[in-house]
Amino acid sequence: MSDRSGIREFLLAFADDEHLMGQQHTEWIGVAPFLEEDLAFSSIGQDELGHAALLYELVLELDGIEPTDAAVDQLAFRRSSRDYRSCHLVEYTTGGWAEALVRHWIYDTFEELRWEQVSDSAMPRLASITRRARREEAFHRRHADALLDKLLAAPEARSRITDALQTIAHLVPGLCEATAGEASAIAAGVTAGPTAKLFEPLARAIEERFSPSVGVGTDETGRFVTSATAGLTTTDQDQRTRRSDWFEPLMARMREVLDYDPAAVW
Amino acid sequence: MDVYEVFVKKDGRDEFRHVGALEAATDELALVLAREGYVRRAEGDRLWVVRRDHVIVADDGFVAPNADKPHRHHDGAAVAARRRAAREAPE
Repeated sequence: MSDRSGIREFLLAFADDEHLMGQQHTEWIGVAPFLEEDLAFSSIGQDELGHAALLYELVLELDGIEPTDAAVDQLAFRRSSRDYRSCHLVEYTTGGWAEALVRHWIYDTFEELRWEQVSDSAMPRLASITRRARREEAFHRRHADALLDKLLAAPEARSRITDALQTIAHLVPGLCEATAGEASAIAAGVTAGPTAKLFEPLARAIEERFSPSVGVGTDETGRFVTSATAGLTTTDQDQRTRRSDWFEPLMARMREVLDYDPAAVW
Repeated sequence: MDVYEVFVKKDGRDEFRHVGALEAATDELALVLAREGYVRRAEGDRLWVVRRDHVIVADDGFVAPNADKPHRHHDGAAVAARRRAAREAPE
C-alpha cells in the first residue's frame, strides 16, 4: 500500500468512527431518559460529527478534491459499504440507554488516547484539528463520568450498567484495531504509534471505572477481560474491512433525509 | 433529582443573568448538563449553577410596601408630579 493511500485509510477509520458515533449519540434527541440529558448527549454527538467533518476534509485533500460541503457529504454518506473503515462498536445498535452510556464512556476514554497519538502529527492540519478536539473531549468524558458516578452507586442502575458492559465488551477490542494503512501513517509521522497499543491503557481504564461493580479483570498479559471478551485479541477480528449487520440499517437512517432529494441544496 | 437555577455571564461588563433551570442528580451533573444545555453556543463565558433550595426566598408581600415610594426613584418625575398637583390644587 502506498504511503498516501495508507495515510488516507488511517484517517478514514478515524473519521468513520467519529461520524457513526456522532450519529448514534444524536439519535437520542427527544428520547433520552430526561430532557437535560437528551440535549446534552445530542450536543456531544454534534461535536463528534464536527470532528468527522474535519477529518473527512483531510481525506478529500489527500484525494486532491476540494472539500466542499457536497464533497464531504458524498464521502460521508455515499460510499459503498465496503469502503467504510468504522469499527463495529460504533456500528452497533444498542439495546437501550445503559448500553449507549457505557459505549459513550468507553468511546470517549479511547478518544482521549487516540487524539493524544496524533497531537504532534507531522500533518499540520491534523495537529490543529487535534487541539480543538481535545478541548471538547475532556468534557465528553466528564459528562459520562458524572452520570456513571451517580448510577454505579445505585443498585438497580449498577446492575443495568453491568449487563450493558457485558453485552458490548466483545466489541471493545475492535475499537483499537488498526487498518492495513496505519503502518504508512506511522512511518510518515502522521500518528505516533499503533492504535492497538491503546488497548491496554483502555482496558485498564475500563477496569478502574467498572470493576468494583462489574467484576471485570485483566488476564496475565494485562488484557481487559470479562466473560464476554475472554479469548479475543486486538487483532483477530478484522472488523474495519467488513461491515457488521448493524451497518446497513444505521446507514439507511442516516441517509433517510438525503435520499428524499439527493440534489437538494441546503 | 434537584432543580438548579442557571446563570450565565457574557464576556465583558455584563453581570450574571438568570437563563433558566434544569434538573440534575448531582452538582457535577448540573454543571455538565448546564454546559450543554445553556452555553453550547458560547452564550457566555462564565457559568453558575445554584441549587434552587439554596436560594433564600422572601415571603410574598415582603417587597410590596415599597411599591409606592416615588421619592426613592432617581428621575424625580413622580415627585415633581406630586408637587405640581399640590400647587394647583384649590386652597
